[in-house]
Amino acid sequence: MKKKTTGLEAVNGVFEISLGVNGAKRTFAVKNTEFLLDALRRYGYKGAKKGCDTGDCGSCTVIFNGKPALACLIPAFTAHGAAITTIEGLGTVRDPHPLQEAFVEAGAVQCGFCIPGMILSSKHLLDVNPEPSEEEIKKYLDGNLCRCTGYVKQIKAVKAAAKKLRGKGRVSGV
Amino acid sequence: MDTKNLKVVNRRALKMDALGLACGEPVFTDDVDLNGMLYGRILWSPYAHARIKNIDTREAERVPGVKAVLTYKNVPRVPHTTAGQGYPEPSPYDTYILDNKMRFVGDRVAAVAAETPEAAEEALKLIKVEYEILPAVFDTFEAMRDGAPVIHDEEDSKNIPDAKHNIAARFEFEVKNGKWFGDADFVVERTYRMPYLQHCAIEPHTVITSFDHFGRLVIRTSTQVPFHVRRIVAQALKMPVKKIRVIKPRIGGGFGSKQEILLEDVTAALSLKTGKPVKIEYTRRETFISSRTRHPAAVRLKTGVRKDGTITDAEMDIVLNTGAYGSHALTVMMCSGSHTIPMYKVKNNIKFTGRSVYTNLPVSGAYRGYGATQGFFAWESQMDIMAEKIGMDPVEFRKMNYIRLGEGSPVFKAMGEGREGVEQVITSIGLYDGIEAGLKAAGWQAKKEKYKGQTGPVRRGLGMACMMQGSGIPEVDMASATIKMNEDGSFNLMVGAADLGTGSDTILAQIAAEVLGVKAGDLVVYSSDTDLTPFDVGAYASSTTFISGNAVKKTAEKVRDMILAVGAKILGRQKEDLRLENGRVVAKDGASCGLSEVANTSLYYYDQHQIIASASHYAHTSPPPFAANFAEVEVDMETGRIKILDYVSCVDCGTAINPELAEGQNDGAVLNGIGHTLSEEMEFSANGTPLNASFRRYKIFNTADMPPIRTILIPTYEPNGPFGAKSVSEIGINGPLPAVANAVYNAAGIRLFDAPFTPEKVRAAIKNSKGKK
Amino acid sequence: MNHIKYYSFPETPGAALAGLLNRKTEAMAVAGGTLAAKTLPETVENFVDLKNLPLGYVKKRGGDLVIGATATFDAIDNSKLAKRWAGGVISAAAARCSSQLIRNMATIGGNIARPHSFNIFPAVLLGLDAKVRVLTKTGVKTIPFSALYQPEFRFRPGRDSLILEIIIPGKTRNWACRFEKFAKTEASWEAYLTLFMGIWMKAGVVKELRVAVGALSPRPFRAESAERVLSGAKLAPVSIDAAVLELGRDLDAARAGEFKKEVAVSLFKRFIKERV
Repeated sequence: MKKKTTGLEAVNGVFEISLGVNGAKRTFAVKNTEFLLDALRRYGYKGAKKGCDTGDCGSCTVIFNGKPALACLIPAFTAHGAAITTIEGLGTVRDPHPLQEAFVEAGAVQCGFCIPGMILSSKHLLDVNPEPSEEEIKKYLDGNLCRCTGYVKQIKAVKAAAKKLRGKGRVSGV
Repeated sequence: MDTKNLKVVNRRALKMDALGLACGEPVFTDDVDLNGMLYGRILWSPYAHARIKNIDTREAERVPGVKAVLTYKNVPRVPHTTAGQGYPEPSPYDTYILDNKMRFVGDRVAAVAAETPEAAEEALKLIKVEYEILPAVFDTFEAMRDGAPVIHDEEDSKNIPDAKHNIAARFEFEVKNGKWFGDADFVVERTYRMPYLQHCAIEPHTVITSFDHFGRLVIRTSTQVPFHVRRIVAQALKMPVKKIRVIKPRIGGGFGSKQEILLEDVTAALSLKTGKPVKIEYTRRETFISSRTRHPAAVRLKTGVRKDGTITDAEMDIVLNTGAYGSHALTVMMCSGSHTIPMYKVKNNIKFTGRSVYTNLPVSGAYRGYGATQGFFAWESQMDIMAEKIGMDPVEFRKMNYIRLGEGSPVFKAMGEGREGVEQVITSIGLYDGIEAGLKAAGWQAKKEKYKGQTGPVRRGLGMACMMQGSGIPEVDMASATIKMNEDGSFNLMVGAADLGTGSDTILAQIAAEVLGVKAGDLVVYSSDTDLTPFDVGAYASSTTFISGNAVKKTAEKVRDMILAVGAKILGRQKEDLRLENGRVVAKDGASCGLSEVANTSLYYYDQHQIIASASHYAHTSPPPFAANFAEVEVDMETGRIKILDYVSCVDCGTAINPELAEGQNDGAVLNGIGHTLSEEMEFSANGTPLNASFRRYKIFNTADMPPIRTILIPTYEPNGPFGAKSVSEIGINGPLPAVANAVYNAAGIRLFDAPFTPEKVRAAIKNSKGKK
Repeated sequence: MNHIKYYSFPETPGAALAGLLNRKTEAMAVAGGTLAAKTLPETVENFVDLKNLPLGYVKKRGGDLVIGATATFDAIDNSKLAKRWAGGVISAAAARCSSQLIRNMATIGGNIARPHSFNIFPAVLLGLDAKVRVLTKTGVKTIPFSALYQPEFRFRPGRDSLILEIIIPGKTRNWACRFEKFAKTEASWEAYLTLFMGIWMKAGVVKELRVAVGALSPRPFRAESAERVLSGAKLAPVSIDAAVLELGRDLDAARAGEFKKEVAVSLFKRFIKERV
């Protein structure tokens, strides 16, 4: 029987980790001091943004093993074996996710810096709660700071997306 | 004039960059990777006031990977201002790329560029600095006293009115039509205070400098003012403007903090030293401490009022804390009066005294509202106090006194931004309708009745406030645009106007599309690049819609003219009989041809030429938008907690070019203002060290905190604006402080003068008022 | 973190503890990591990630509510069991921690492993007479939560021991409880004060009363003199006033300052008056 590994060792302070990003298997070489946000950006996933680097703004939100999480607080080596969805994995300009469309249609995108994080948080919310009340939306998005919009149109966008997704009979699972 | 026949303007149009942003496209300053790029880091002063006696960088330079270490010894010393304003700037020239004197905790000591961020950090630790610590001053009134520490004692600074008393800017103005307060039945004198506040754009300041194939310096930067960046970097580094190209990619919010040359000079200096691309990206902590803030203010307002509701006299005395450098010291101070005093008619005497004072604290700068926020907190609180004195309803009192269509104010002429202003009269105003709409939406009358005579521990109340702003700086701000036609009948619109997330690219496209008879999506907008787009002062002073919008409209009209000339040839009709409609040139008799035929004709077939035009705009007037805000609050008398239950903001921004984006601007401004009202405040230790330089401890509102916010647009038609438009971006931030203060008074009978209204302060005010009774 | 050589993700508490106790490398255990990762001591060589431990549960055992150490705030917030326990006070408290993104990551074990004034759960657990099961080199110890931060408890969870679970005794199941986080704004990260209040009455007589105060200092405390006044008493204006007075004294003793004292007293008064 194959023995399950329960550890990794760094070579000169660098861990080689395997992980899934947006459904693709990837191997990252990450320094022991590096956080997931920096590693993702270094490997080209620029959709995760650095707004504070202290876990307080939510711009770096990614879906980490099924839940929205703060990539700036996750030591990169701990992403070994993880499944990650970044905004790039949710939808693209050619083929956007209904949430991305809803944010555009509701006028919820101003500078856009916080939007990838906010959409990823919303995505999970709608996965677990397809018909959230306004209060539930407000509670779920409280870690994604935005200074441009006052959140009014973003909440509207999440409601609209929820409706749209319910119409499709399912929430797209990533 | 009205907006009935408009097809693109005042209609729904999706923000054109929104989908890319929502998909996380790599469009921000930091989202590019350049080969061989170095990482820049800055060493910050740990002392509020100190002189470098000795600085030794040898060990730092020896760290593997370190490519450059800069100190005041090896960069040009050119006094300049970091404020991105019209040239010559009305600011003191009191800033140096690096200096041997430190004027606040967070002032620049040295800069390092290295191959890795770690090496750069390591080098910073190894820079040995010996400081002579100087006495520091943090209070503006102490700083003005004889014998106070002199913060700018250097000889080569320019344009500081009184360096010995730390006065970075001052202005006085008086209109006298009789004895001061001689005509008043009541005189009210109160002082209103605001603390240090930060913009908190979610994208920190980021700059990447590199070189193009001509060896020119390319500055990719998160800025609101690309052309001012080019000029000021050229000045500070003693370079010709032609050697610099500034690119503004997508910007992650600015709110005034990016109307400043903050990192471009030092990043450029590191690139020039190393010959390599260099990136400097602020941390959130650095953004709090070493970017810019709102000017803390003490506003003393003394007003006289007659029992019949006439405001007889107004004396406004404002002292602003500009921190260690003068940046926007003069202009913010002047706007605190020029944007507020004209709001209401003052019968006899007006006096404004303003001083901006240096202290050993972070540098204040431009911040959405730009002085008007400080001014309206005072004015709109005082309006309620005066109304109560004379036993008049505060809404009626405002309705009686606000400036009317066709009226002017001596203030417009006397006070501009940093210089004399421009005479103007109000050419559009929807304030009355705004007040009425707000009263209705807020349920004002019924709720006021219901809330009378409350005695419980939790009490409710309503308050309102009115305000105005400007639309660009008259006879100062200038914008220009270029439009170029393509084969398929689409157009490139190139503007210097800096979309920093506001959606200005989209509304400028809508304006051009309206003129050209096409859809907004037929305009491909590019902003901004000093090599490729024509000049624009940048995104500030609520100028983009009004000034840049007019420039785009003029440009589009020129292009329309060129199109019609070609169309006339194609259709064999008189140019005067043609118009543009639905992507076609249409003649009175119904003959028509498509725009692509026009483009192809001009490019390939006949009398070949590129249909292209540029135009500029500057204005002799700055038509104010007006707003009426209404707050409903709940005050816990025992704990001092204020909860905002409802907030209605009615805004007259003329024609809203894009109603959805206009609403969004106002929603955001209002919530930012609510943050100012209830929680935001930078705190400092006794030696000037910032204590809460993080989103964890400097609390901006999130979705769980936000009250219901309703923006109601009140349409008017501003004859000087493009399709009747005025500004919308700043005004919304001025309302919450006074509207909530007035609502708290209505609910709890206490008057708050000191922002933010924390539970502690509210509780203290409640106890204080009980003590008096 | 630049000394980290090993990243371990053991699957059993025993294996995790073995990693911590291995003398060859300095190790530290991290659960949610929202605080620990950014404040990890520079000397740590072995990063022991507790994510794979089967301790993420919220369940009933015997008559007690048992919360595994790696249950996240979000899991506790949304646990049907926790929502029904003691008026849902544990879920309500979990919901008041920082932001949803933190709540998705942070665990109850991490929140109580070290005393901090910004921790949410300590006041609640103190007030609910919770017990903590800790795995040490000498075996599993079950201690009252109130003993966790006492010097007599000589272990440092995460360094030489592991918190396994938190046990909320069955007697609290039907207590009327309230958790107040009194902060500048609804969602402020830091609070002026947190207050747990729990009461159990029978035939108009107070059988149990708990008032636990947090956020004033890293360790929460119980306002015991206030509790004493009402214990066994009927809720009447006189006894309530006396308890309020004692609560004020308890807060004075904790150097709460006038403002926080007033707030605590009024929140307490409201809570008690609702019971009359």
